[in-house]
Amino acid sequence: MAEAIIEVDHLSKLYRLGTIGTGSFRQDIQYWWTTAVLKKEDPFFHLDTEEQAATRRDAIWALRDVSFEVKRGEALGIIGSNGSGKSTLLKIISRIVRPTRGAVRGNGKVSSLLEVGTGFHQELTGRENIYTSGYILGMNKEEIRRKFDEIVEFSGVEKFIDTPVKRYSSGMYVRLAFAVAAHLEPDILIVDEVLAVGDAEFQKKCLGKMRDVSQSEGRTILFVSHSMQAVSNLCDKALWLEKGKLQEIGDVGGVVNKYITGIQKFRLRHSWESPEEGPGNEYVRFKHVEITPHLKHEDDPVDIRTPLTLRFQFWNLMDDVELSVGFVLFNYTGECIFDVPSPSIVYKKGVVEGECTIPGHFLNDGSYYINLHVVRDTSVMLYAFEECLSFDVEDYRGNIKWFGKWWGAVRPNFPFRLEQNREKTILQEKSL
Amino acid sequence: MAVGEKKWEWEIQAKTSYLGPGFKELWSYRHLLVNQVRRHFILNYQQTVLGPLWVLFQPIITLITYVLVFNKLVGISTGGMPPVLFYFAGIVLWNFFSDSFTGTSTTFRENAEVFSKVYFPRLIMPFSVVTTHFLRFMIQLLFLFLGIAYYTVFQDFSPDLSLWVATFPLAVLTVGAMGMGLGLTFSVLTAKYRDMTNLVGLGIRLFMFVTPVIYPLSTRPDEYRWVVLLNPLTPLFELFRLAVLGEGTVTMLQLTYSMVFAVVILLGSLLIFNKQGDKLIDVV
Repeated sequence: MAEAIIEVDHLSKLYRLGTIGTGSFRQDIQYWWTTAVLKKEDPFFHLDTEEQAATRRDAIWALRDVSFEVKRGEALGIIGSNGSGKSTLLKIISRIVRPTRGAVRGNGKVSSLLEVGTGFHQELTGRENIYTSGYILGMNKEEIRRKFDEIVEFSGVEKFIDTPVKRYSSGMYVRLAFAVAAHLEPDILIVDEVLAVGDAEFQKKCLGKMRDVSQSEGRTILFVSHSMQAVSNLCDKALWLEKGKLQEIGDVGGVVNKYITGIQKFRLRHSWESPEEGPGNEYVRFKHVEITPHLKHEDDPVDIRTPLTLRFQFWNLMDDVELSVGFVLFNYTGECIFDVPSPSIVYKKGVVEGECTIPGHFLNDGSYYINLHVVRDTSVMLYAFEECLSFDVEDYRGNIKWFGKWWGAVRPNFPFRLEQNREKTILQEKSL
Repeated sequence: MAVGEKKWEWEIQAKTSYLGPGFKELWSYRHLLVNQVRRHFILNYQQTVLGPLWVLFQPIITLITYVLVFNKLVGISTGGMPPVLFYFAGIVLWNFFSDSFTGTSTTFRENAEVFSKVYFPRLIMPFSVVTTHFLRFMIQLLFLFLGIAYYTVFQDFSPDLSLWVATFPLAVLTVGAMGMGLGLTFSVLTAKYRDMTNLVGLGIRLFMFVTPVIYPLSTRPDEYRWVVLLNPLTPLFELFRLAVLGEGTVTMLQLTYSMVFAVVILLGSLLIFNKQGDKLIDVV
């Protein structure tokens, strides 16, 4: 069995919320007096029990009692929703911030890559920045000299190496910055979301480079990402943090699946008892909205293959009015993917029901939200129920060996024919 | 697996240490120090009209102002020394002190971005600032020596050089230590309380007036001289002028006072810096 290289031991981190302003000087003195002079407990943090901590509003546990072990040569993916403590954990292991309680112990040199281009300065040339960034990340002179050419080649900015980086395009900048980081040789490499930047081509290159590092060179990697695809491909183990607590650790496939289904359960369904409670106005009030994935097993994640059915009901509060509903889907950058209208029909007062299905193999992976527009006479917007539902579509690629972000707002599965024209090939061969 | 028997190379805990990273780790980052010094120079002079000439331009303009205002208009005596040399000696040493002090006093504020993304011994940054200002000071000092040579040859000025000349590195190093010590202390304060930055700027400007920069100690009236003497920088400025220009009033006792002050403030501030440094990232 491989030896443990990092041990995280009951790690907790507390953040004080609110402004640290003029009041803090007095508090600091008071704190110093009670702890250093009177040798008493911290006057501001009586956090011996969980209940007490939970009631505090001005403090938040970014991490709570997290313990785990990483073995040499392992690639551990850290996943969790925003604010679950992933970055805090990495920052503590990187020695940037101190824990409130607990400890991290380890062996070997640690390099952290929490952002692309740490230590870069706009006015300096590419060459100078390679050195500055390299030193800050913990390389020594010999190491950088030895790898300089390799770094430049990896980044592909040879021509501009003596130009200040402020004149670089953002893509070039990112490539150069990552190239430096990719050539670090620590025992433990800590990487946080750096793949979120850069073009798809380069992302692929980076992922490849990192995989080489962990697999062939036996280096330990801690990797935070929101891309489950990247985590699944790069890591053999995964750790799921939720609200600062360790939810699950183990084999990457199992943890990622549980995490995806865990976060998807929510926000798929809303119901309202009476027209008074439902969202709407004097014309219409919503009664029920839901989006249902068609899954073989209840625990399966919703991925790009899954058809999704939208169902909704609303109270029509007007008599004899011609109504239609627009089903508008947005992705999380706020781009409209489609706006599908229903037929326009005359309705009496009462509940109106509707249903529409998005086929499988149509949406790309990502997060989406739905707006429902109730329209009169195909022209007058009566009510726009904004962001009424939201859902995530996970990636699925089967045997495809490309791991970068899949381009496009949609990912339809159109019939695609690709073949070789045999006659022509034969003719060409003959002419040779 | 037997827990507790294992040997770990490093441990990160809630408690921070006064001793900090230790010399070995600092040494392993020496290239970063050199690189940062280079970077300070490049950044200051890249895309400027005068370029590296700024090292001399700034003190020379100050010198002209001081000569015009304090010497010609106000008429402060320079105690028999040529005003140009007298002021220039004061200005370069004062600049070294005040730049070292203000430069290091914003260590956390200026480097918050990079400190929050990557670990390296934080002390590298203030050390690089002081080193930069030291090199700048050395260039200016060379210019001062040229000035002295010019006055000796063409202007009938004869500095009575004595053995004191050998002591001027001591004056310079002590001034640097004091600037860095005070700067490190304030770097912790400016990180926590924003208004400290203003206080540093204001304080340093006022502090100059109780330091013999624009006047020699010997011309101060006896009943107020203690105010100036209380300032631990005073003996150092007097010693510096005594060494390079041959005039200044300083006793061994005063000098000891300055040195003890400098050593205490530097060691004390290093302890505070190490102890507080890692906690400050949450606050900045």
